[in-house]
Amino acid sequence: MTAVTTYDWLRTAPEEFIGWDVDVLYGPWPRHHADIGLAGVRARLARSPVSRALAMSTRGALFDDAAGNIRTVKDLADCPELLPVGTVDLRDALAAEERLDALDAEGVRFLRLFTEQQDVEPDFPGYRHVIGQAVSRGLVLLHDGDPRHYGPALAGRGADVVFLDVHSYVLADFLLLARSEPGFRATTRLLSAPDAIERVVETAGARHLVFGSRTPFMDISPQTLRLRYAGIGEAERAAIAGGNVEELLG
Amino acid sequence: MPIIDVHAHVGPWPFHMDTGDAAFNISLMDKYGIDLQLVSAAEAVVYDALAGNAALREVLAVHPRLLGYAVVNPNRIEESAEDLRRCLDTGRFVGAKIHTHYPGRHIGTREMAEAFDLLDEAGVPLLLHTWGPEVALLPELLESRPRLRIIMGHAGGDAWREAAHAAAACDRLYLEHCRTVTDAGRIDYARASGVPVERLLFGTDATLIDPSVSLGVIRDAGFTSEELERVLWRNAVGLFGLEGVLSPTRFP
Repeated sequence: MTAVTTYDWLRTAPEEFIGWDVDVLYGPWPRHHADIGLAGVRARLARSPVSRALAMSTRGALFDDAAGNIRTVKDLADCPELLPVGTVDLRDALAAEERLDALDAEGVRFLRLFTEQQDVEPDFPGYRHVIGQAVSRGLVLLHDGDPRHYGPALAGRGADVVFLDVHSYVLADFLLLARSEPGFRATTRLLSAPDAIERVVETAGARHLVFGSRTPFMDISPQTLRLRYAGIGEAERAAIAGGNVEELLG
Repeated sequence: MPIIDVHAHVGPWPFHMDTGDAAFNISLMDKYGIDLQLVSAAEAVVYDALAGNAALREVLAVHPRLLGYAVVNPNRIEESAEDLRRCLDTGRFVGAKIHTHYPGRHIGTREMAEAFDLLDEAGVPLLLHTWGPEVALLPELLESRPRLRIIMGHAGGDAWREAAHAAAACDRLYLEHCRTVTDAGRIDYARASGVPVERLLFGTDATLIDPSVSLGVIRDAGFTSEELERVLWRNAVGLFGLEGVLSPTRFP
């Protein structure tokens, strides 16, 4: 028998177009069985519906924040589709001001935090110091971890925060936070329930969602398909797929 | 080309989501072109196996596109054995489902061994919630149970590499990759580890997870058309004996 494939979802559709992906990394990650460098990440994005992304070297997350930030800025200077993201190692908070000054000099406006890899809790003095410094400078935080733990520590500061790990299971807590925090946003990556994206749009507004794939660690299609088939309007889809990040970029 | 979803559920979950009733399953199936769904009752998985299975028997009686898994609680193997027979006797159940988290019994426990004995005797496939490196125990546990065939639901979860090697070591272990966290390269890794495409199955975890997530995993795996047929339905037909269940016009 000749196989015939007729599934709509097998082919990318315009509704999967992503203007900005806020969650892209490149470089070594020792817990994985293989690494993908910048060239591999760019190739993967080029095959996907993602047109631009906020990206950073993993060096700053796992090993050396200052060198990682320099590496990211240098590497991405020749990548027009990628915008550099900086980081501060939360285990060395006394160096935060120096790191942030350096990022400011390079025009970096997004600061990504790695509380899980750096084993940092929201009530740690170093964490609170870094958050205070970053928010006072008007940086947009790209924040890992559970919003139930970190959200209360970030609230009440007028902060722009993109939570990168909001799971459908904790959606109620995120929505409670978002009610009083217009700057709190979540990526759609783990909002896998059939109505999770729709609930955020209906109850808090599409401005609270952005797209973040965690390329190259995660498959991209599950996320672009979820957005394509979401029961939301075209304006909301466009905001999530890139418009909201454009606003953050000013 | 039909699609058979071998990992789904009916009923509500204790999270902020509208997982609805069987009509919601059907609406999602229609949305994504899924012909047949193998479901367990969420109530049976999370709370009360007997009550959930009983409710599912009523659902299956009126929804021909749904087939059932009877949930077995490994902590109560005698009553689950009776209930499994009750479910299979309806002709609408095709296997059993065991979760590890909710009953708090993991793969290496005595209670799970007794449950495996039950399923070995019953001769129906088991959809097992797999999460963590204990999946590496499965090939040895199946050695003494020659009729037991296990679908490793979520393909080991965060232990997907261990799950791949377990499946490569035993031809009665199947991988099914539904999961919210869609780690890249899981299917490639499994195939490179020696798991043949004949032992890959399609599951969604609906209505807990939207089917688009698992469909995206399938798309990114880059299967050939013939491999897609195997993963999306032919392998399930063979494992569960579903010949004739699908409409003849869609089941050549």
